[in-house]
Amino acid sequence: MIKLPKFLTIFAMIVLFPISAETKETYIPILVPITGFLSLEGTAQRNGAIQALDEASSSLKIKYEVSDTSTSPEIAVTALQRALSRGKPVAIAAPIFGTQMLAMLPIAKRAGVPLITVSGTAKLTELDNPFIFRFFPGDAVVKVAHARYVTEVLRAKRPALLYQTTAYGQSGYSHLSKALRKAGVPLVFEEALAPSVKDMLPALTKLRASKPDVILLHLHSTPTALAIRQARNSGIELPIVAGSAMHQPSTAKLLKDHQLRGVCAETAASPISETHPKLIQFTTEYKKRFQTLPDAFALAQYDGMNMVITALRSGAKTAMDIRNWLATNTFNGLAMKYKSDGKGNMGHDATIVCYDGTTKTPKITKKYLNVDGTFN
Amino acid sequence: MLDISLQIILNGISLGCAYALITLGFVLVINAIGAVNFAQGDFVMAGGFLTVVLAEFMVADNFNPIRASGVIILPLVLISMACFGFLFSMIAYKPLKNRPPVTVFISTIAMGLIIQHSINAGFGPEPQIGPALISSGTITIGTLTISKQQISIILSASFLILCVGFLMNKTQLGRKLRAASQDSEMAESIGINGPQCISITFSLAIALAGAAGLLLSNQFFVTTSDGGLYMLKAYIAVTLGGWGRLDGAVIAALAVGLFEVIMATLVSYVVAEALLFAALLLVLLFRPSGLFAEAIQRRT
Repeated sequence: MIKLPKFLTIFAMIVLFPISAETKETYIPILVPITGFLSLEGTAQRNGAIQALDEASSSLKIKYEVSDTSTSPEIAVTALQRALSRGKPVAIAAPIFGTQMLAMLPIAKRAGVPLITVSGTAKLTELDNPFIFRFFPGDAVVKVAHARYVTEVLRAKRPALLYQTTAYGQSGYSHLSKALRKAGVPLVFEEALAPSVKDMLPALTKLRASKPDVILLHLHSTPTALAIRQARNSGIELPIVAGSAMHQPSTAKLLKDHQLRGVCAETAASPISETHPKLIQFTTEYKKRFQTLPDAFALAQYDGMNMVITALRSGAKTAMDIRNWLATNTFNGLAMKYKSDGKGNMGHDATIVCYDGTTKTPKITKKYLNVDGTFN
Repeated sequence: MLDISLQIILNGISLGCAYALITLGFVLVINAIGAVNFAQGDFVMAGGFLTVVLAEFMVADNFNPIRASGVIILPLVLISMACFGFLFSMIAYKPLKNRPPVTVFISTIAMGLIIQHSINAGFGPEPQIGPALISSGTITIGTLTISKQQISIILSASFLILCVGFLMNKTQLGRKLRAASQDSEMAESIGINGPQCISITFSLAIALAGAAGLLLSNQFFVTTSDGGLYMLKAYIAVTLGGWGRLDGAVIAALAVGLFEVIMATLVSYVVAEALLFAALLLVLLFRPSGLFAEAIQRRT
């Protein structure tokens, strides 16, 4: 047998097996709705994910690509199948739109790839699918906090609710009405509105006739702003406690300061209201990168991707490794501490923010920690 | 109760007036080319965004609400959108004019998507608010509170509808447009420039869509996904009013606006929408040419 000099052996190894010599690229697709009625939230998701992955690129070789899932489940499924065919993703940033997530979940399960989402639809984590990880607290958390703020802090006795006809709206309505009933304060009025409804006066007229002492909203961004403006213009000055859409800077921008007086919102976090240096740094960097202010969806997706990055840094290599790491570890994110409740619900805190009528930056009024008892 | 009822009726009329502008443009194009312009709703949205841009441009150096009011911007929007309309006819219609109508409507769907995604890419997904036409305040008469913007919408839309009526019925240009839309070959044989008439019709239709976008952008905000909604409402109004009938389209659009708010008040939004579509199905079943049947010919 001919003996090769040592350097020739090393040279041959590098030439013949180049993959072993270079760091393997980790593939993380970002599948979010950038167009359609959830484009605002989807863009926030995309921005949060990109910021986290770019920040990690100094120490990890991560390849990501963004695909628009628009507003239909078919487009989301096609985007997922395309992402799976292009490589071996270790995790996927998945859309906020619950209807799309429901369609994507069985495919992700078959492929064994964890979906990292901020979708609030409760049903997603009730399907025994081990590949979903939701970093925005679900309705079982935020709607309980919503109801607790209304009944415990505002001491309301006659709440009235306007909610969306979408899966998001139905899920929120179900949890909110249940929590209110449990607190002995049932809804005196409720109406579902399609996202396309522009004129809210018919609903507000009926709502006013029911003599409520607080208005609850569980609507998307534009309908939330429309409902508040039309209520204030109609002389309805009741306190309004809205869903998470109201904490978004782009929603507040549509309203005048005085119309925001007495308006509160539930959310996971409000990055622009926070004073912690790390959150200020996140907000500053986000604004610099994307020329817009971050919201809780951007922050939650940022935290979600950072938990995946932490798993990679801890030695996770495959999608299954990442899934197992996410399912069993606790992560201190910027918005909150995340831990799976066994079903993939990672966020367990909720925040109530309120506007004082002089500025469009809400103030954090109340924080509800560990609402569902996961950390007990 | 009376003041609330009046307020709701006023809402329905103002919404119906905006729908009427959209529908009017829709019917003008149907009459001219015999095919549906599915980008009409996206041009409403584009008009809203153009309004936002013009308003910001006008107040950029020195804030002056009067300079940025919608009534000052309206002529600029009408002219700009008319130019877009001309360009649109050159791109989406002219190269396909000898193809079956289905080709043209697919081309308009594609153009609508291009407009929507381009605006989304340029402005981002955030909803925007346009300036009020004159003022966004309210007038209180006894217990009745009326939004100045609603009154402005009704007056502006009525004025524009009357202008279109005058143009089409009382001017030489209008007669040419009608002649070209009724029988283009015959019109060309007597010296009317058919392709030019079609381009003018597109300009007029899209200028009206832009005006509707301006009127709606303050009261209802504007987002890039709004086009589909307005398109659907225009389609329903045209089907109810009769394909090709300008007066029928205006009446049907007003009826749709009123029907929506009244039924939503009496029952619910979900029922109002279901009943609107049920009415549409009944019309298609028993009077497919619409409630105000077209006198000339059936369109495809």
